[in-house]
Amino acid sequence: MCTGRVDPALVAKAFKKGIDGLLVVGCYFGDCHYITGNHQAKAKMDMTRKLFKFIGLNEERLAFRQCSSGEASVFVEIVSEFDQKIRSIGPLGGDGDRVKAPEIFKKLEAAEAVLAGEKIRWIIGKRTPFLETGNVYGEIFTEHEFNRAIEMIIVEEMEVQEILARLKETARSVKDLANDLAIPPSRVFRYITALKRKGMVALDKVTGQTPIFQLTGQEV
Amino acid sequence: MQDKKVLIVGGGLDGVSAALEKAEAGAQVTIVEKFPTLGAERIPRDRLIQPDDAFVNPDLDKMRNHDNIQVLTYSEIKKVNRDNGKVSAHILKRSLRVDNIKCNDCKACIKVCPVNMFDDFDEGFSFRTAVDYFNPATGEYNIFKEDMPVCQQACPVNLDIRTYVAQIADGKHLDSLATIRDRLPLPGSIGRVCPHPCETACNRQYLDEPISICFLKRYVADVEINGGIEPVYETPEKKLPEKIAIIGAGPAGLTCAYHLARQGYENITIYEALPVPGGYLWVGIPEYRLPKKLLQREVDLIANMGIDIQYNKRIGKEISYEDLKKNNDAIFIGAGCHLGLKLRVPGEDEYEGKGIVDCVTFLRDQALGNPIDTKGKLIVIGGGNAAIDSARVGWRMGFDEVYILYRRTKKEMPANTWEIDAAEHEGVIIQYLAAPVEILGKDGRVSGMKCIKMELGEPDASGRRRPVPIEGSEYVIDAETIVPALSQAANLEFLGEDHGLDINRWNTFDIDEETGATNVQGVFAGGDVVTGPDIAIRAVAAGKKAAEGIHEYLRSK
Amino acid sequence: MIYEKNQRYIIPFDDVPSPRAEMPEISVDERRGNFVEVETGFPEDIAVQEAKRCLSCRRCLGCALCWAECESEAIDFSIPDEELDLEFDDVVVTKGQDNSFFPIDPKLGFGSYADVITDIQFERMLSPTGPTDGMVVSPLDGEIPKRMAIVQGHPNEDDDQLLSSLVLGVNESIIALDRTKDLEVILVSPINEVFKEQFLSNAEKISGLRIVKGDPESVEKDQEDAPLSLKYSENGRQQDDTFDLIVILTKPKISSEIKSLSRKLEKPVQ
Repeated sequence: MCTGRVDPALVAKAFKKGIDGLLVVGCYFGDCHYITGNHQAKAKMDMTRKLFKFIGLNEERLAFRQCSSGEASVFVEIVSEFDQKIRSIGPLGGDGDRVKAPEIFKKLEAAEAVLAGEKIRWIIGKRTPFLETGNVYGEIFTEHEFNRAIEMIIVEEMEVQEILARLKETARSVKDLANDLAIPPSRVFRYITALKRKGMVALDKVTGQTPIFQLTGQEV
Repeated sequence: MQDKKVLIVGGGLDGVSAALEKAEAGAQVTIVEKFPTLGAERIPRDRLIQPDDAFVNPDLDKMRNHDNIQVLTYSEIKKVNRDNGKVSAHILKRSLRVDNIKCNDCKACIKVCPVNMFDDFDEGFSFRTAVDYFNPATGEYNIFKEDMPVCQQACPVNLDIRTYVAQIADGKHLDSLATIRDRLPLPGSIGRVCPHPCETACNRQYLDEPISICFLKRYVADVEINGGIEPVYETPEKKLPEKIAIIGAGPAGLTCAYHLARQGYENITIYEALPVPGGYLWVGIPEYRLPKKLLQREVDLIANMGIDIQYNKRIGKEISYEDLKKNNDAIFIGAGCHLGLKLRVPGEDEYEGKGIVDCVTFLRDQALGNPIDTKGKLIVIGGGNAAIDSARVGWRMGFDEVYILYRRTKKEMPANTWEIDAAEHEGVIIQYLAAPVEILGKDGRVSGMKCIKMELGEPDASGRRRPVPIEGSEYVIDAETIVPALSQAANLEFLGEDHGLDINRWNTFDIDEETGATNVQGVFAGGDVVTGPDIAIRAVAAGKKAAEGIHEYLRSK
Repeated sequence: MIYEKNQRYIIPFDDVPSPRAEMPEISVDERRGNFVEVETGFPEDIAVQEAKRCLSCRRCLGCALCWAECESEAIDFSIPDEELDLEFDDVVVTKGQDNSFFPIDPKLGFGSYADVITDIQFERMLSPTGPTDGMVVSPLDGEIPKRMAIVQGHPNEDDDQLLSSLVLGVNESIIALDRTKDLEVILVSPINEVFKEQFLSNAEKISGLRIVKGDPESVEKDQEDAPLSLKYSENGRQQDDTFDLIVILTKPKISSEIKSLSRKLEKPVQ
């Protein structure tokens, strides 16, 4: 299989199942049978590493390396080096990661939802056209700008997916969500009103002074 | 009243009510609103309400379906003219990019849109996505796309800052320089002297500090020089024959020539009164801020496009304006503001040239290497960048002590704060809240200045507090040289008598903002000679605009 | 996180905050007696690092995901802008939907605390089509307030402005009290003669609303999630009280565009 087809959502899923490291090894740039497969792979893994860093998982646990099928010794070197690195980082959710187990698994679940979602898939797929021929308005992106766009989506989608995941468990207030997720409550409030606007969240009931929100079942 | 046509500006509750009222009375109504949809319900401000009848709703359905009303949302009035009671308006109606007849309000688009932004309609209590409805009551969708980011909008030449900065981040320094040169042919010079309105607008300031946009421009210009690269500014193969004369080789004139050459004009002559190019960039901005060698190189790159720069050619002296007009198809006047204004205090006229020298002359003499007597102390009067430059130049030239006198406080000083700090840092003594009273002299030369202390009174028309003299607080500073640096004006004597150009009461030209055209066909103007003393990048913008105006004029002739 | 008007909303990226690069300079001692360039320019690593701070602000990314999702094919990027030249016999200039207002004294906490909002924001919140469907909540934490204050942001304004802001304040109180169980509202503002004659007696009959003739002085809080503490004067006496939400009565500002249009057309803004 081409590394370009390694789905970031599967990467998150693998970590969610408890693996400590994942190494993606593809062809050298220029050697791709599909021309841009390895470029896509690198872009996808770079983006996934960014997301991991944002959720508090040591991004070194995921690596993208290159060698050709004839280079057995190079391959061995890459694998040994990565093996060493993961051993030094230690088990998932331990000292090597900013967020510890079991919280990290909840984060990974939301991360999987982000990576499986249409927004990230679509935008990452647009990387080559954006950089070379331009967006729908014909505006060409620089790499820096594209990376900023990806970062922006990662930050916001991650927070939204976490909110949705908590609401899926049970109806909650803005304050509860803010406490659970360590996101400032004023920011959660705006996410909730935005989700309400999209028809995905609605008021469930008011308990005392506290409005409680629930999912409408209309998620994407 | 029959068939009367009425324009309603603003689609809020007031506008909608007015539109309906006029339409019911039989008028043909056009309502124009800047936002993508019409206004929401409002709470009355003139009577107390009942809770069940709290909001006044604009009757949007009635208005949308009214035969006499044309609704233009997401629209801007670009130009209006009032003539004989008739009003003509040029209106830009932006595309909503959504066909609201086909839209079934399923919200699929706003669920997937990856962009969250400030929700104006809900006063920031929510996010809206790039594709969204604006007013939930109308459910009309639109895609919000700004023309350009805030930095680019703030830049007078609309440099594509987002791209050129990111190209540096990507390590593509020369691509970045090419992006800049698409609009600005003087990146190294402007990158050193610009007071950067872009950075004032930069969104990053709301998170920590703005991006250092201006110095990044200088950086890429330096990369080229340090790499020993001598680029060639390309001109198209198809040449255009018309003759164009440009008065003044300052930032406006050079930019105008550059953009005309890029259109293919090959008969462009710049007439420069001084022996050097750059205008105020050469004779007004000191060497320690902008090295002449660097400015000369940027001018040479422009001249190498086939532009003839004739030095020491003062219009009205070496060549008359009439001849210039007769022998050219178009003229651009970018003569700048090179006349220093006077203090108007006793003793000034008496000692003019004997220790009193205005800042324009002072800086020019230094820049051109003319002799300046640096004996004793120097007093500079004023609070603008020219005052700071004169003081810092004086300090470098070796005056014993250098003073700046300014009648308000540091807070009101129009000079860039970083320039004021640098001057103080170098040891220039700035006396705030002080003004000149009289120039004192001895043996036919300036010997000092009588000053008076000031205090700030009531705000004047400009909003700044007016300085008022404190009675009896006069004091004397000994000085051998006094440099008034108040402001500059244009000197239009070179035009002669029969030029036919409209000159306003500020002794500058009134031009068409869009094209730079004056009232005389084929004559264009821009830069300080139109705006009064202003920043270089605005002169560059004016030169570019005029080049487009001249091209359009010559091609439609 | 910053929310500001004009479509600005900036998310906190993980490289925030990071300081702006400083331009290296030669020392003051090296400058006397010569004209050597003072600023020496960024080295490459500093320039690249500084450039990377750029947020690359862009609203619509032009990704066309909305277009791909739209089953009714309503989204069409090729719909062009239109330019129209029209003639009219008469013009009416109104304020439009621009709800800008004159700056508010920073001592009143607007901009510093998420639970200090303007009367225009509160009007939108109370609206049945608003972000909370008309429910009164604090944007700080989404909780329903027990005690709120509406305070005058421009106590020294002319009669017309004072009157219309007072009426709006009372009307907003009427709606908020009707929507919210056990809410207490106080309105702190100087009262003028016209309001006294025409509205005061009716306003004072509203249950749950107390009108305080006085000046608001400052709004503070000890920590982010603490209630707001409002200092105000009542008949010259200092008062201090805590609230869950504070609404500031603003003075509307007409945009410079509308002003210049009104000037050019010689038509006052209605």
